[in-house]
Amino acid sequence: MLMNYLRTAWAVFQRRKLFTAINLLCIVLTLVVLLVVTALLQEAFYPTGVEHRSDRFLQVNMIEATNEKGSVMRRSPLGYKVIDKYLKDIPGVEVVGASAGPDEAHVYRSGGVTDIRLRHTDAGYWRIMDFKVMAGRVLDADDIDKGRLAAVLTRSTAIKLFGSIGALGEKVDLGGQVFEVVGVVDDALHVNAFSDMWVPITAYPSSEFRQQMSGNFTALLMARSPQDLPAVRQRVIEIAKTISFPDEPDFNIARMWADSKIDLLARSLTSSQELDPGSGKIVAGIAAFMLVFMLLPALNLVNLNIGRIMERSTEIGVRKAFGASNGQLAAQLVLENVLLCLAGGAIALLAARCILWWLEAAGPIRYLKVEMSPAVFGWGLLITLVFGVLSGVIPAWKMSRLDPVHALKGAA
Amino acid sequence: MIKLENVSKTYQTDKVQTLALKGIDLHIKKSEFVCIMGPSGCGKSTLLNMIGLLDRPGNGAIEIGGKPVQSYRDKHVAELRNNTFGFIFQSFHLINDLRVIDNVELPLLYRKMSGTERRRRARAALEKVGLGARMEHYPNQLSGGQQQRVAIARAMVGEPDVLLADEPTGNLDSKMGAEVMDILLQLNAEGTTVVMVSHDENEARRAHRIVRVFDGQLVA
Repeated sequence: MLMNYLRTAWAVFQRRKLFTAINLLCIVLTLVVLLVVTALLQEAFYPTGVEHRSDRFLQVNMIEATNEKGSVMRRSPLGYKVIDKYLKDIPGVEVVGASAGPDEAHVYRSGGVTDIRLRHTDAGYWRIMDFKVMAGRVLDADDIDKGRLAAVLTRSTAIKLFGSIGALGEKVDLGGQVFEVVGVVDDALHVNAFSDMWVPITAYPSSEFRQQMSGNFTALLMARSPQDLPAVRQRVIEIAKTISFPDEPDFNIARMWADSKIDLLARSLTSSQELDPGSGKIVAGIAAFMLVFMLLPALNLVNLNIGRIMERSTEIGVRKAFGASNGQLAAQLVLENVLLCLAGGAIALLAARCILWWLEAAGPIRYLKVEMSPAVFGWGLLITLVFGVLSGVIPAWKMSRLDPVHALKGAA
Repeated sequence: MIKLENVSKTYQTDKVQTLALKGIDLHIKKSEFVCIMGPSGCGKSTLLNMIGLLDRPGNGAIEIGGKPVQSYRDKHVAELRNNTFGFIFQSFHLINDLRVIDNVELPLLYRKMSGTERRRRARAALEKVGLGARMEHYPNQLSGGQQQRVAIARAMVGEPDVLLADEPTGNLDSKMGAEVMDILLQLNAEGTTVVMVSHDENEARRAHRIVRVFDGQLVA
C-alpha cells in the first residue's frame, strides 16, 4: 500500500512541478526560520558547550534592595560581598563561582588601543564552566589567592592581539596593569562565558569590591545534581531575608533569586519577584509564536492543497468505489503532504545549517557557534511533521468525504 | 444476492428537484447476468450506483447477501464495496499516474494482504484479460480497448461476487466492444454476477435478463 501511495505522490508532485516548487519553497522558508530559531534557542538555554553543566547550576545575578515602606528600591547586579558572605555555604551546592562583567576594557599596544570585553573571575567559575583549552591553562585558586596578574584569552582575541593562539607568556596592558597570558580558550557565546579575556577577581586595583553589596557580579551555584536545584532556589530566597545593609540605612529588605537560564530571561522580561518568574509562560509564548508562524503558511498550503486534490476527485471516486474508506483516503492524502513536507524539511535542514555557518562566519553575533545537534534535527523533524499534518489534514478530510458518484464525475 | 425494495432517489439542486428513481423493486440472483437498458437520463446509472452502494437511496431498502445495508457506516460500506463489487466504468477511470499493474492492484490495497500476493493476483488478472505484457505500461500508453481490459482486470482482481459495468463498451469500437463483452460473459460463466448498463440491444440480448428503466421507473 505504501509503495502505491508513494508512486502516486511522486507522480502528482512531478505532474504539477510549479505547484510542487511553490509548496516546497513555502515549507523550506518557514522551516529554515524555525530551525534557525530553534537551534539558537537550544544553544542559549540547553546545557551545551562550555555551559553543558547548566542543568545543575543556577545563577544569581541581581539583588533587589528596598525597605518596608517601599520608598526606595534598587535592583542591581550582586556585589562580591553578597556572594562571599551569604552564598558560599549553601547545602547541596558543590561549587560557587563568581564572575564580574563582561566589562569594556582597553588593551594598550604599540600599534594602538584595542577594545575588548573583560571578566574578573574566581576559581569556582572555572570549575563550573568547561572551556576548551587551546593552549596553556585556565585560572586556578593559586592565581586568585596570590592576586596574580594572569590572563586567559579567547582564541580570536589571541589571534587579534598576537597573530596566533601561541600567545602564552605574552603581556597584555590594561590601562597600566600588565597581565601575562597563561591560557587560550576556544571562543564561546554563552550567557556566563561571553568575554574576550578573563583575569582573577583579586586583580582589581583595589580590594573595595569585597565590601560591596551591589556591583556587577553574578554568582554561579553548581549543585551536586539537578534534583538539588529546587532546594537551592528556595534556600537563596531565605538567605536574602537575612541580608542586611549596614552601610546603607535606606535599605533593610533584600530579595534575590537563583535562576536557571530560561528563568533568568523570564525574570529580566517580567521583573517578577516570585520564585517562579514565569518562564513557563515564556516557553508557552515561544511555542505559540512558532505555532502561529507555522500556521500562516500552513493555511496557505491548505488552500493550495485543496486545489491540488480537487483535480484528483476522479481518483478519489475510483478509490472509494474499490473499497477505500474515508479514513484511508484521508491518511493517503495526509501522507502525501507529509512526504512533501519531509522533502522540504530535508532541504530546510541543509539550508538552516548553511545559514548558521554564515551567521558564524560573517559574525553578526560574535562567537556564535551553533551545532545542528540531534536534538535540533529531532525538533526539525517534529516541526516538519506537524507542518505536514497541519497543512494536509483539513483538505484531506474534506476531500475524503466527497460523494463517490460526484467524485467520479470529476465534480468535486 | 441483491434486493432493492421500493427504492427512490431524488436529486435536489438550488431550484430544481429531479426524481431519478421511483419505487424500484429489483431482485438479482447469484450468477445472473442482468442488463439495464433505457434512454439517456432515465436513471440507469443511478440504479447501478445504488446497487453498488456508491449512492444511497432517499427511500426504500437495499439488501446485499440478505443483509440490509442502509444503516452501514462508511467503513462497513467501504468493506462491502471492496469485497462484493467490482466496477467497470464507461470512461475506464484508470489512474494515469500509476502503472497498469498498480492500477489493477488498487482494490487489494484495502485488504489485509501481502505485497507479493497482491502482485501475484494482479498479474494473473492482467494475463486473464490478455495484457500480461503491458503491466509496466501507463494507461495513456494503451488503446481504449486495452484500457477497458485493464479496468476489467482491476474490477475482477479481488474476485468480487458482482461486477457492475456502466456502459463498458460505450467508448469502444465494435471489435473492442465485442472483446470486452466476451470477457464479461466468460466471467459470468465462471460464476460472477454481472450487472451491466447498456444502450446496445445486441449486447443486451447476450444477458440472462434485461431490465428496462424509463423515467426512473422499471417497465415491463
